[in-house]
Amino acid sequence: MADEKDDTRELMKTASGKRLTQILTEDYLNVHRKASEGAFVVWVAIVVPVELFKGFDNVVFAVPESHAALSAAKGVGMLQCEKAEHSGYSMDICSYARIDIGTMMSGGKDSPTFGLPRPHLLVSDNNNCSLLVKWFDIYHREWDVPHFILDVPFCYEMQKETDLRYIVTQFKDLIKTIETLSGQKFNIDQAKEALKNSSEAAKQYKRFIDCAVHRPSGITAFDSFVQMAPLLTSRGRPEVAEHFRLLADETEERIKNSQFPVPNEKYRLLWDSIAPWHQLRKMSTRLAGLDANIIAASYTSCLGGIEGSYEFIQEYREGDPLESLARIQNFSVCPYGMDLRFKAMSWAASHYGIDGFVFASNRSCKVYSVMQMDLQKWITEDLGIPSIMIDVDHADVRKYNEESAFLRIEALLESIDAGRARAKI
Amino acid sequence: MFDMVESVKRAKGKGTKVIGCFPLYPPLELIHSFGLLPVVLWDMKEGVGILKESDRHLQSFTCSVARRLMEFVISEEGSLLDGLMMYNACDTLRNMPEIINRGLKEKGRTLPLLKLHVPMVSPNQTNATGYLADRIREMIAEIESTFGVRFSLERFLASVRLYNKIRKLCQEMEDLVAAGKMSYMDFSRRIRNGYFIVPEDQLSELENALKEAQSGSTKNIPDGKKIIVSGILPPPDALCAVIEQSGMKVAGNDVSSQARSYGYIPKETDDPAAYYADFYRNHYPCTTILYSSDDRLKALNALIEKRGARGLIIVGEKFCEYEYLEMPFIIKMLEQKNITTLQLEIATDDDDNVEALRTRIEAFSELIR
Repeated sequence: MADEKDDTRELMKTASGKRLTQILTEDYLNVHRKASEGAFVVWVAIVVPVELFKGFDNVVFAVPESHAALSAAKGVGMLQCEKAEHSGYSMDICSYARIDIGTMMSGGKDSPTFGLPRPHLLVSDNNNCSLLVKWFDIYHREWDVPHFILDVPFCYEMQKETDLRYIVTQFKDLIKTIETLSGQKFNIDQAKEALKNSSEAAKQYKRFIDCAVHRPSGITAFDSFVQMAPLLTSRGRPEVAEHFRLLADETEERIKNSQFPVPNEKYRLLWDSIAPWHQLRKMSTRLAGLDANIIAASYTSCLGGIEGSYEFIQEYREGDPLESLARIQNFSVCPYGMDLRFKAMSWAASHYGIDGFVFASNRSCKVYSVMQMDLQKWITEDLGIPSIMIDVDHADVRKYNEESAFLRIEALLESIDAGRARAKI
Repeated sequence: MFDMVESVKRAKGKGTKVIGCFPLYPPLELIHSFGLLPVVLWDMKEGVGILKESDRHLQSFTCSVARRLMEFVISEEGSLLDGLMMYNACDTLRNMPEIINRGLKEKGRTLPLLKLHVPMVSPNQTNATGYLADRIREMIAEIESTFGVRFSLERFLASVRLYNKIRKLCQEMEDLVAAGKMSYMDFSRRIRNGYFIVPEDQLSELENALKEAQSGSTKNIPDGKKIIVSGILPPPDALCAVIEQSGMKVAGNDVSSQARSYGYIPKETDDPAAYYADFYRNHYPCTTILYSSDDRLKALNALIEKRGARGLIIVGEKFCEYEYLEMPFIIKMLEQKNITTLQLEIATDDDDNVEALRTRIEAFSELIR
């Protein structure tokens, strides 16, 4: 069976890695400290517009999904999953949810962040995952904490004006709810400032992931998996925008100095799924040994885009921040309809010069995975680019078999070679 | 034996256009009011045996509801359908429209697909009545333009009355099951068949079944320890038999295709927007209607008390995480009230594997006080 170790160590050795650690550590420490000092604590789904919370002076937020990913990357995912399973939660439930429930049930024991401070409000968002509503309902019932559900119509196409209005109405109700529960007043200018910071961070992040265009690529998708964290947990902070600016600068500089993660890169691959958090180092190292690099992922590349676009189109300068935040609910950290995902992946294939696709069928994320069989056929037939499907669970290492996965990956590389040989004839 | 495909064919033979509706709670009355026949594509194990087509499109960790739906729509029988209708019932089902379109395209077919977004916000949190009203109006316009039909207030009201009568009869039939005048297996079959017949015929069949059961002409139902069953789909017939053979009697249900579908009777009105605001807002609690699931435990407790039940069998749909996430809390709360619980899982091969569950069911029966 694959083992679980801290899979972020290697990636954290760079200057940007250290800065990232500092931002994340600060954020987790702050949320604990402020909570202990009486701040109003909100737990959110990753796509909840946390910039709204910056409109309050003493509201802090925590992101259980990110905490679960971190736990898996730090090697305690399975341990936390087992705690949830022993309490009656099925092994077929999303591993993020099981990790989080396991952490909650043990009062934060074994968590790399000492758990998360108990919330005063839960805010879920069914845009990227309806299941998360059910997961938050557990805390809502166990702890008697109010649960606010943001209902966002699923993104099959361009957002309709009526849907945008509906989402804005809910944001207004969310603000009122926090005002009522926390006794604090919302300041829209602070939210605007936070949104500007988020917008700038996303723009600089796009610069960073575009370093994959270079041959050999300046990054691996595994770098983007790790680096995306503050876009989820620390949005709205100016330090995050600055971090991504420096990260992009450093990465571009490394390219100029011919420093590449896979110097003899022969195969440029695209990953379609959430990150395999328990395999970051192992998978990237083994791939590098094969001169293969997963240079991009649908999971991380779509951040900053909208409706199947990989390009940065979330720039915010002025105007109603609620409308802007409602508009980008249709970006989603991945799951949108198949037509849009095909559009996004086709564009990426051409933009990054992709040689092969790795579809990671992830039973912990049905909304991402159910459609991959057709998407794979469509991509392969229309683009003529070979692909494979492997079984992965993003956070439960027990549902991953390294040898089976690499058997397929090696077959993919052979298929790419065969295609190249045919092209020469 | 009832044949769902033949039943749909008979309706088609009379010139009725058939709309295949995704589960769980689509706006049946609205579709019916246009003279179309809505059939809800679930609980189809008798009509969809193998999953050859579906397996080419969906991973094995997809629930049997979605896999059978896919199989039916893209297989030969699916050509009986004139359109599809879906709403945002769960993460799996919301991915299905585009997968189905791809599957149909491979077969050289297309089907019009109507999509509805049902607001999932709590009414205490955000007033979504206006948003839903807009969606219903859009759906009416889309049905009109797609199928060349016209909306009528009178016909809508008539359809509302028809479906409400059916709901009421289903409730009465459940009472007869609880009273031991009809077996739960028989009840389940009748409800299941109802999804694939013209509602006017369903009404007659329910009336006849009720008369028959009330007159006592049905075979004597063995008595047993009263239990409630809960799940997305009812226990398969083979499992119902094992439950009875183990000395228990199903006295009530909290099943999506049964009580959760007929448990609430909306107010009759000719205004579709007002009707569906009431229909969804006050719906019998279900894990998939996100804002309603807080009331699920309350509804279960009320049902257990009303039926005098001492046990609950949860017939979990394999891979339905919605149900999985609610169960531990519900079990904990019920066990505090000395209600014995048993959690089972059913999947696509449920009828074949039911014997593997017999020992657990027998042990469960022994534990009920």
